[in-house]
Amino acid sequence: MWSGINKLWNRIFSRKRDVIAFPQIFEQFQTLLEYHQKAMELITDLGEKSGGEYIFDRKYLFDSVHELQDLLLRMIKALNLISSNRYYDLYPTLDRIFLPLEAELRGRLSLAQEPYVIKLADARLDNQELIGGKAGALVQIIHRLRIPAPDGFVITNRAYHRFLEYNDLADRIHSWIEAWATGKEELRKAAGQIRYGLLAGIVPQDLAREIKQHAQRGAAFWAVRSSAYGEDGDLSFAGLHESVLNVPSEQIIEAYKKVVASLYSPEALVYRRKTGMIGEEGAMSVLCNEMVASKASGVVQSVHLRNGVPDSLAVYAAFGLGRTVVEGRGLIDRFIIERKPPNQISSKDIARKESLIIPLPGGGERETRVAEENQLQPAISNETIRMLVKWALALERYFKRPQEIEWAVDDAGRCWLLQSRRLIVPEIADESREDICESCSTYPVLIEGHGSVAHAGVGSGIVHVVNSNDDMDNFQDGAVLVTRFTAPWLAQVAPMASAIIAERGSVAGHLATIAREFRVPTLVGVEDATKVLHNGMEVTLDTHSGIVYAGRVRELIRYELVQSMVFEESPEFRLLRRILKRVAPLHLIDPQSPDFTAGGCVSAHDMIRFIHEKAVMELIDLPTFLKRFKGAKVWTLASSIPIDLKILDIGGGIDPDVTGSKIAIEQIQCLPLKALWAGVSLPDTWDTEPIDVDFKGLMSSIGKNWDAGPGGLGTTGVNLVVINRIYMNLHLHLGYHFNLIDARMDDEPQHNHIYFRFVGGVTDVTRRSRRAQLLARILSHYHFNVAVKGDLVIGRLLHLPKEEIHRRLGLLGILIGFTRQLDIQLRTDRDTSQFVEMFFDRHAKFIEESLAKRPGGENEWRQAENYGVG
Amino acid sequence: MNGAKLRIMVLDDEPIVCKRLKPALEKQGYEVDTFTQSSDAMEQIKQIDYDIIVTDLKMKGADGMELLTEAKRRSPRTEVIVITGFATLETARQSFRKGVFDFIAKPFKLSEIQEVVKRAEAKIRGE
Repeated sequence: MWSGINKLWNRIFSRKRDVIAFPQIFEQFQTLLEYHQKAMELITDLGEKSGGEYIFDRKYLFDSVHELQDLLLRMIKALNLISSNRYYDLYPTLDRIFLPLEAELRGRLSLAQEPYVIKLADARLDNQELIGGKAGALVQIIHRLRIPAPDGFVITNRAYHRFLEYNDLADRIHSWIEAWATGKEELRKAAGQIRYGLLAGIVPQDLAREIKQHAQRGAAFWAVRSSAYGEDGDLSFAGLHESVLNVPSEQIIEAYKKVVASLYSPEALVYRRKTGMIGEEGAMSVLCNEMVASKASGVVQSVHLRNGVPDSLAVYAAFGLGRTVVEGRGLIDRFIIERKPPNQISSKDIARKESLIIPLPGGGERETRVAEENQLQPAISNETIRMLVKWALALERYFKRPQEIEWAVDDAGRCWLLQSRRLIVPEIADESREDICESCSTYPVLIEGHGSVAHAGVGSGIVHVVNSNDDMDNFQDGAVLVTRFTAPWLAQVAPMASAIIAERGSVAGHLATIAREFRVPTLVGVEDATKVLHNGMEVTLDTHSGIVYAGRVRELIRYELVQSMVFEESPEFRLLRRILKRVAPLHLIDPQSPDFTAGGCVSAHDMIRFIHEKAVMELIDLPTFLKRFKGAKVWTLASSIPIDLKILDIGGGIDPDVTGSKIAIEQIQCLPLKALWAGVSLPDTWDTEPIDVDFKGLMSSIGKNWDAGPGGLGTTGVNLVVINRIYMNLHLHLGYHFNLIDARMDDEPQHNHIYFRFVGGVTDVTRRSRRAQLLARILSHYHFNVAVKGDLVIGRLLHLPKEEIHRRLGLLGILIGFTRQLDIQLRTDRDTSQFVEMFFDRHAKFIEESLAKRPGGENEWRQAENYGVG
Repeated sequence: MNGAKLRIMVLDDEPIVCKRLKPALEKQGYEVDTFTQSSDAMEQIKQIDYDIIVTDLKMKGADGMELLTEAKRRSPRTEVIVITGFATLETARQSFRKGVFDFIAKPFKLSEIQEVVKRAEAKIRGE
């Protein structure tokens, strides 16, 4: 067998591989682990920064991305050193992932790779540079808040640049603007010239074709709206750009040009100059939505002043298309609703609505009369009002600014959101100039200075404590979620919360990620929160001061809505989130998958995962090539346990004073091996009683006879362990299965790991699979991340403190003995359960003692969250 | 709060830093002016003696070191807190020699700077 492997080895690998000595490879591996750790920390840090508690600038993003790139480059080098250059294809992968990142950092959106037209359903989040502000907001509303909006597509900035380029307009526009800006030309003339140029321009074939394809795939009529960069963000551009409604599919191109030209209306130019936006960024995306044939339509404002107090919302409604309300034509219904839950309707003014606007069959629209008997009917039902109020408050919570929302109700009674933009309320801006610190000091403080900020902000509402699945029923929109755990199932209610306060969890955990995605102000790790906060209490969380106030701190909420900046919308945060999207997600989860290749890496995290896995595999494969250790001193462990274990010490694993070739376990200084042996040598572990083999099992076992020699109950193959003081790489070939344990235990938990791999067996595959299931169940119980494929079991643990690694190695020691011939005994699936129980029964005491400090019960959530997966 | 509100100047050429520090410090009960141009800030310290100045070290034009030297010369009781991404020991040491109250490396947590400002306030108020 060995000669066969050697031949194969020589054929596959270069001679160079012979030259690299194991200690050197081992050293590379250790270095690689360090880079691995640093890279993972960097990604975690970047993730934390997106929560708003940190102040960072572009330079930080720049430095972090470059450091990550550097670490990955080093990891690739180390892996190639270990593997004799078998992973060269990781270099182009690194470029593929980091070149776009570089472009992002330099603010040069590489439009060349972006589409001309993109469906709303396919558009990426945080990509306003491509699709503009209005479409950017709509994409978030659809994807994050899941509020229904009509289908549609965006004609992107790339299309705009293509249009300008094709018509040679960029330079001409630039010189007209310059002429105006320097006072050489008057505004109206400059604007007129530019607009004329755009309207007369020809939309190039390739672009026109794409627009038409999208238009023809959708509805017959479209709402075509401007979506300039920055529009509907902090700069509202309200009413400055054109919208064309009820456009037939075949006329979309003309409507597109009209909307694009409105970017250079005199008003828009003046506004852009005033806001310091004149220049390069004047680019126009155009949003096309299917028209909703609306029975009723109107506007909701999330803040309405009643007697000078901004404690209400207002819904305005009319029959037919939205122009009636938006342009203030004719009389309309007005509903005033309280902002505080349960959002009662405090007044209804139903107007006599004599006319309505309806779409015309061939496009366009016309005004018509409302039937006499319907004129005094409310345009919408209470149910619709409730829905609109819910949307308005959710949108305000998410965008952190008062919102003005256009909506429509179709013939089937379904409600659609058409657009949502920032509502300017000058009165609350004035009022909030009051001393915010003083106002806050009049409210009782319930919690101060505890916990960590997972997502920054201010949120207020009624406390709803969730400790189990059942508690989530009746969770009201806008409630404050208080919980002892940070369990994954909280994802269902977290997006509805106005704030989250959790007793456990970390800023790198699952709940924090959700909070950031849905922009919910969140404190985690607030000990005893549930003792102070009870169901039904009204509270206000301010993460900036780290305070939970009793009551609704109106002054603070108003301050936030007007004064405080919406950090989530700042270019730096959006850049960070775009970076994170290319860096953080893990797609390569299953090492057995055909995509688990360098080419399959999509993110930096994928690369880290891939390199780590391959490096471990390289190391694990090494003892197969025993030739490498020719001439090295190999020790034999003297033990009553019938495992003929050969030991190779690569430094510090064995007492230096030992002589001879046999050593006792007491003379071994390798921490992981000692820990493992404590389990192996427990009195009950090594069951030497003859095993009851049934006929099927026996036949199966006789049928197998690779090169295993005696086989059966004794030992087979090579049992080898490579050690130093803190590391162990153990290969066992017992009975008919292979077992590999690679472990590191030292003072710094972040470098510690256990990798457990188990495969094979003497019986048929069903029984072997049963054993795999049994192992999986036991390992999972001790927080191993377990993957089972047929009879292969892989268990992983990362980043545990020394003592936790110690205890789990003890457990693995017991398992080695326990599972030795177990497949023979696993005749039915029920046996599996029995053996799991037997395992716990028989070894309960040892496990209890050695895992005494294992956090149980509620703490398991924290464990599940914090224990990494390799 | 006892006594008049303390006045704080924030100077950083990255607008995001100013935009985020202003509300965070206002909520702690300070009056806050922010600047992204060191020349503007230089002019301002000729008009007003700030109680606390929070400044970046490396910027275009006059850098933070010049500003803090000038501020300290005009009003020795002004406490200066340096924030910078160039977190090297040498710059820190240099700024400490110039009488800087404390030094925070970017990126930092809001709570970190709030805490340092509070300590500076305690010193100013002689607590």
